[in-house]
Amino acid sequence: MEARDPVRRLNAPGGRSSTWRQPGLLPALAVLLLLFGGAMLGALRVSLIPLGDSSGELTLDAWSGIFADPSFIDALGFTLKVALIATVISALLALLLALTLRDRGLIAKISGASPVPVPHLLVATIAVLWLAPGGIADRVLGGLPIDPVRDPGGSGVILVYVFKEVPFIALLLLASLGRSVKQREEVARVLGADRRQVFAWVIWPALRAPLLLGSLIVAAFTIGSFEVPLAVGPNYPQTLAGWAFEATRGDLISGESEAAAALLVAGAIAVALAAVSVRFARDVEGG
Amino acid sequence: MAERLWKAAGWLAVGLLIVLPGLSLVLQSFADSWRAPSVLPQEFGLRGFEIAFSSAGATAAGLDSLLVATATTMLCLLLAWPAARALATSGINRSPVVVLLIALPLLMPPYLAGFGLTEWFIRLGLDGTVTGLVLAHTVLALPYVIVILTFGFGSRLRELEEMADLAGLSRLRRLAWVGLPSNRPALATAGLLSFLVSWSQYGPSLAVGGGRATLPVVMLPFIRTDPQVAAALGLLFILPAMAVLAWAVRSQRNPL
Repeated sequence: MEARDPVRRLNAPGGRSSTWRQPGLLPALAVLLLLFGGAMLGALRVSLIPLGDSSGELTLDAWSGIFADPSFIDALGFTLKVALIATVISALLALLLALTLRDRGLIAKISGASPVPVPHLLVATIAVLWLAPGGIADRVLGGLPIDPVRDPGGSGVILVYVFKEVPFIALLLLASLGRSVKQREEVARVLGADRRQVFAWVIWPALRAPLLLGSLIVAAFTIGSFEVPLAVGPNYPQTLAGWAFEATRGDLISGESEAAAALLVAGAIAVALAAVSVRFARDVEGG
Repeated sequence: MAERLWKAAGWLAVGLLIVLPGLSLVLQSFADSWRAPSVLPQEFGLRGFEIAFSSAGATAAGLDSLLVATATTMLCLLLAWPAARALATSGINRSPVVVLLIALPLLMPPYLAGFGLTEWFIRLGLDGTVTGLVLAHTVLALPYVIVILTFGFGSRLRELEEMADLAGLSRLRRLAWVGLPSNRPALATAGLLSFLVSWSQYGPSLAVGGGRATLPVVMLPFIRTDPQVAAALGLLFILPAMAVLAWAVRSQRNPL
């Protein structure tokens, strides 16, 4: 009964103890702790103790090895470049799409959001059909100015991500542009605000948090995933996860350790990005 | 006039970005011969599907993917329901440990989760089993399900539950008659997302799948080597996702 009492709930002291006292939380948190914590520990262990080493001695060979490997440094740079460009373009286009769709009907909104449930690999397949040398676009237009598929600059990978992520972020933005924002806009207009002021004072504050959250999820995904780069990306440079996958297929002993280290680097970048974003968002809200 | 232009631009965008790519996928899957520079295929046939179902093993992979995605969704909903209920009544922002446990799996590379679990799973005999795949996918889907269900537990649900308590319903009946029906839209959205997360997972399936290949694992090499087979597998890949989407959209209607 106590959890349902709104007054108790509002006055509940913050901090770990009040949350951990909820028995309903324990199974889910235990599963996450065990599986996710186990996965992280497993990866860290593999990066520090080479596979099959029965002595159990820790070594930083894999870590120093990857940072001395030019192909890893290239993969790091390529991953960051692709993630940054794909995220920025997706966020900007999603903003435009959400603002265009907000006053449209259900069919327009469903059409706009339709790529969301389509798996990335399917979009990659369609990208190859259309954009590969000799693909449909090539045949219809008689040649493309660039070859996005296998482009060492990563344009094909970026295109697939943008196609998939724009509707995803737009959906998050549309969800926060509800009726209350519309009412506030009307009030601002009645008070004499022009379009630019309405956007700056009413719409943008409502969109800032979901835009940041969506961009963060997209950035983390593009940093960590490798199926799209494997399908439409260049053979060199690879993304970090692709580099790790390749390493597991190379040297049986050091390959696994280096793959684990490379994946942990990718994870650390995503977490650092999230920490900086949350900090930045708090500063903005606070200001 | 401006409105008409907008509408035309909208339809053009839908045609170019959604309808044409979709049609091209269907066309490619049946195109036994489609040589440049012809814009349309020269010969239609079932070669893509024959290879997909015979040598590529699409039937086994598809059934495994379906089983894993369904089991992952059930497990996630089962674990997330009480967790979301507890979080909605105690405040999700309160405990940094809880927030970290939910946020980190969303930020980390999915392949890392599978990769880190592989050695444990080999020792436990879970490597290459459906159970192993379900557990690896659960790490990635559970946080989404918890977050969506937490937002679904609004004040209205608590009011309804209090009414059920006053009416003397047992906890089980309260759940079946009030809790589940009133939270159906959030349950459907969470179920859809969980299914899609598992269904399209590549890296973790590759890592812990052992010899057991799911549909994305079977499909990826064909994208580079044989587009017709990739397109045929792509159609098999999209159909269950669309069916689950349709079910989820239907479930959004008329909650309690």
